[in-house]
Amino acid sequence: MRRVILAIVSTVAVLVILLSIKTHSAVPLTTPPAAVGTPSGVAGGSGQGSGTGSGSSTAPGGSAGTTSAQTVTGTAAETMYGPVQVQITVKSRKLTAVNVIQYPDGTPRDAQINAYAIPQLTQEALAANSAKIDAISGATYTSGGYITSLQSALDKAGI
Amino acid sequence: MTTSTQGRQAQSGRAPGPPPASPARARPEAVLALIAAGGIATLGLWWHDTPAVHGLGDWLTNAGRLTGLAAGYGVVVLVALMARLPPLERGIGADRLARWHAMGGRYTVSLVAAHALLITWGYAVTAHTSVVSQTKTLLMSYPDVIAATLGGVMLVGVGISSARAARRRLRYETWYYLHFYTYLAVALAFSHQFADGAEFMRSPGARVVWGGLYAAVAAAILWYRFITPARQAARHRMRVLSVQPEGPGIVSIVVTGRHLGELRAEPGQFFRWRFLGRDLWWTSLPYSLSAPPRPDRLRITAKALGDHSRALAELRPGTRVLAEGPYGALTPAARRQRKVLLIAGGVGITPLRALFQAIPAAAGDLGLIYRVSRDSDVVFRRELEHLARERGAKLWIITGRRTDLGEDPLAPGALLANIPDLARHDVYLCGPPGMTAAVTRALRAARVPRRQIHHESFEF
Repeated sequence: MRRVILAIVSTVAVLVILLSIKTHSAVPLTTPPAAVGTPSGVAGGSGQGSGTGSGSSTAPGGSAGTTSAQTVTGTAAETMYGPVQVQITVKSRKLTAVNVIQYPDGTPRDAQINAYAIPQLTQEALAANSAKIDAISGATYTSGGYITSLQSALDKAGI
Repeated sequence: MTTSTQGRQAQSGRAPGPPPASPARARPEAVLALIAAGGIATLGLWWHDTPAVHGLGDWLTNAGRLTGLAAGYGVVVLVALMARLPPLERGIGADRLARWHAMGGRYTVSLVAAHALLITWGYAVTAHTSVVSQTKTLLMSYPDVIAATLGGVMLVGVGISSARAARRRLRYETWYYLHFYTYLAVALAFSHQFADGAEFMRSPGARVVWGGLYAAVAAAILWYRFITPARQAARHRMRVLSVQPEGPGIVSIVVTGRHLGELRAEPGQFFRWRFLGRDLWWTSLPYSLSAPPRPDRLRITAKALGDHSRALAELRPGTRVLAEGPYGALTPAARRQRKVLLIAGGVGITPLRALFQAIPAAAGDLGLIYRVSRDSDVVFRRELEHLARERGAKLWIITGRRTDLGEDPLAPGALLANIPDLARHDVYLCGPPGMTAAVTRALRAARVPRRQIHHESFEF
């Protein structure tokens, strides 16, 4: 009996110690800029995806700031589970839609987490009208990538 | 009743000498250190692969990963311990290996259960779903999880069937064959590790090492548990030479065969025997050599347990025999001191009877205490008395129940009264589990160092 208790206690202790250390380790959520911005523009409206990886913008009604909608694609932000890239629609300097064109979904686990996290992030972004939003717990990496890509798109749109 | 025989002349045993090159023996501490190092390396896989842990869902999920990795490693170790690897069998002994296996088995089965619960709970928290719907998702859309769940359930089932309470109600053979399901369980659970385990999905190197570990253990099982016995059967062609009753329910069986010296069996060791007679072919049971092995014959003495007590006594000479072994670490090689004391309980006398004849010792350096509850159960009385005289060894045959004797003859005080320098002896102990545990405690109380106590229980 003493052995059983010892085994349980030491196992739990090892788990808690390992997990605590990992909780406190600070790891960048997205990889450094060198890896950011692989060419994509997969869903970039009518072929506006630029080969340099910078976002493309369409301003059918003329310059930014008009009342017509404008679509901008953010850079692809690399995370350790894969790239995240968003495309936004802006109307009258207001964020009206966020379309996530790339996110990690290679495994059932990624797909499950992101199916929950991405709508949440979009909801937050639309409400905040900016990229200053909270990460979704359990989807920290996707959140980081989302925020980075969203910020780059907003910058291009001049918001 | 106590019989004490003091030999008159100095003479060392006449057993055939040990084989020229001593067989390889693993040191128990070294094996434990190796197992621990592997465990740390396994946790290192997780450490290397896990960036940072945030929130409750991550905590639960990662605890689930850690327990899963540890279980995946534990299963391999458990199977390897039972692979009948000769250095482990001779250095650690089947009895101790079985105890490690039982202890590790309970632990590993708990890890498997913890892994399943933690992963399901952790994923549910992260995905903000209920545990029930998460369980469905895991089973339906995660690759190979259904097979792994089946394997896990089987492992837990085998674990429960091995628990003490269940063992008492199961026939030995039922329990033994149930254990073969663990191979199936491990095979079923294998693929989900690579298909769903983050540590392996992203690292081909880890997959190679992990797969290699499983493959090596599978090869060892195949070789030592299946191919080696078949080869030995073909080479040695063992047959029953004679069957002789020794006492109530106890028979000695002499087996002949060719090239038996090549088995390098040592006094104190046992084989797993399968007698290809009408009633016994389907079961294989461990019986100790009750005399030093000879190149042309082996003698075992069996107190038959379970269904086949009568069948053993009725074995006909000429019956073919398959023997797996030799196994066991209760051999002269375990010895550290000049003086040796053998303590036998009941039918535990069999390996010690062989050691009493063969372990090298000068006159006066060897003693045997043989504890039997009823006088009629004493076997080998004449042989033992003869050996004691011939070798100048001391022999105590102590019969009678403890209540009738008025004291425990194997208590520290009683032992020290007969053998004042007990602590300077190597003690070989063989008997039923309760008796070996009690005597080990008594020996420790009498200040015999733990490493000088060598014991084997004849529980399966």
